[in-house]
Amino acid sequence: MTARPDSVGSGGVALVLAGLTAFAPLPALGHAALVEAEMVAAIRLHAQFDTGEPMAAAQVILYAPDNPAQAWARGTTDPAGRYLFAPDPAVPGRWTVQVRQAGHGAVAYIDVGADDGAAPVVAVAGGGGPTGPLQRAVMVALVAWGALGTALYFRRRRRVHAST
Amino acid sequence: MHLPDGLLPVGMAAAGYAGSAALLGLSLNRIARLPDPGAAMPRAAMLTAVFFAVSSIAVPVPPTTVHPMLVGLMGVLLGWFAVPAILVGLFLQAVLFGHGGLTTLGLNGLILASPALIAWVVWRALAPRAPTVAAVIAGSGAAALALALFVTLVLLGLPADVDGAAERAALGVFVFAHLPLVLAEGILVAVVLRVLARVEPGLLPDG
Repeated sequence: MTARPDSVGSGGVALVLAGLTAFAPLPALGHAALVEAEMVAAIRLHAQFDTGEPMAAAQVILYAPDNPAQAWARGTTDPAGRYLFAPDPAVPGRWTVQVRQAGHGAVAYIDVGADDGAAPVVAVAGGGGPTGPLQRAVMVALVAWGALGTALYFRRRRRVHAST
Repeated sequence: MHLPDGLLPVGMAAAGYAGSAALLGLSLNRIARLPDPGAAMPRAAMLTAVFFAVSSIAVPVPPTTVHPMLVGLMGVLLGWFAVPAILVGLFLQAVLFGHGGLTTLGLNGLILASPALIAWVVWRALAPRAPTVAAVIAGSGAAALALALFVTLVLLGLPADVDGAAERAALGVFVFAHLPLVLAEGILVAVVLRVLARVEPGLLPDG
């Protein structure tokens, strides 16, 4: 006969516990924190000036393909001009990336393919690439050549005008 | 110091084009009224090439790099010709170097061409009395004005998504890094005018 109150008592405690857990959601019980980890496909941006210098601490603004009006995420590049983000695989399409600092910056578009088991296809458009010193020198030389031609043309025409 | 594509609202870019077109129309009109419109063409062509080329010279001023603008020099040496010269130079920079953008060409034109014209007016007013001081004021003043216009346009076009405080801080660093350049541009105008007066007085602008 001593077993009955015991069993009633333990049953009551269990009921109270059940009631507590029902009223308070699990994460609020105590201050337990859970950390889970999963591997996701991420994209790392490299932002640099055309001099090759990294854009450190530049602002990065991301726009998802389904909402080009509102920023999907914001952040800043690290000292090496890099920024890591994991696009939502449920939203494949053209992600817009804006990197800016003090009025300078670039907009790039990253095409993220649908995640069909394989790694999503990534293609970058825009943002440009750094021009090499030789390429720059040739472009400067060509423009200088054109300007010289223009200058000589107008000088010669004036001389012809003066002699006639 | 060029506004790139895609960072400013489309309305501002359109307004920039309208402003630049008005400025270009005015200056071409004034050039056509000159007694000999072709006279300054060789000088304008050569300075356009110089203006185009110097934007690829990056001078490291930690933590950023600056490049010479030559706005004051263009204004003083070219007068009304500075506007078409700067616009052509900016177009070539945008297309070939990727400095600035095609959508922001109008805004960049306003940022650089209007200080050039103001520098020319100021220089013409002051040069008869104090040539060197006038040259320094024209060169440095034009660079400072271009800097101020750039910063104003960036702040005006700041989208809501951008962290305004961080951008303002970055702009502050940017302006600070350009202060030596502002001084250098003024000295450059004075030196160039002095060298021209000694070597080739025919190339001197009519004050």
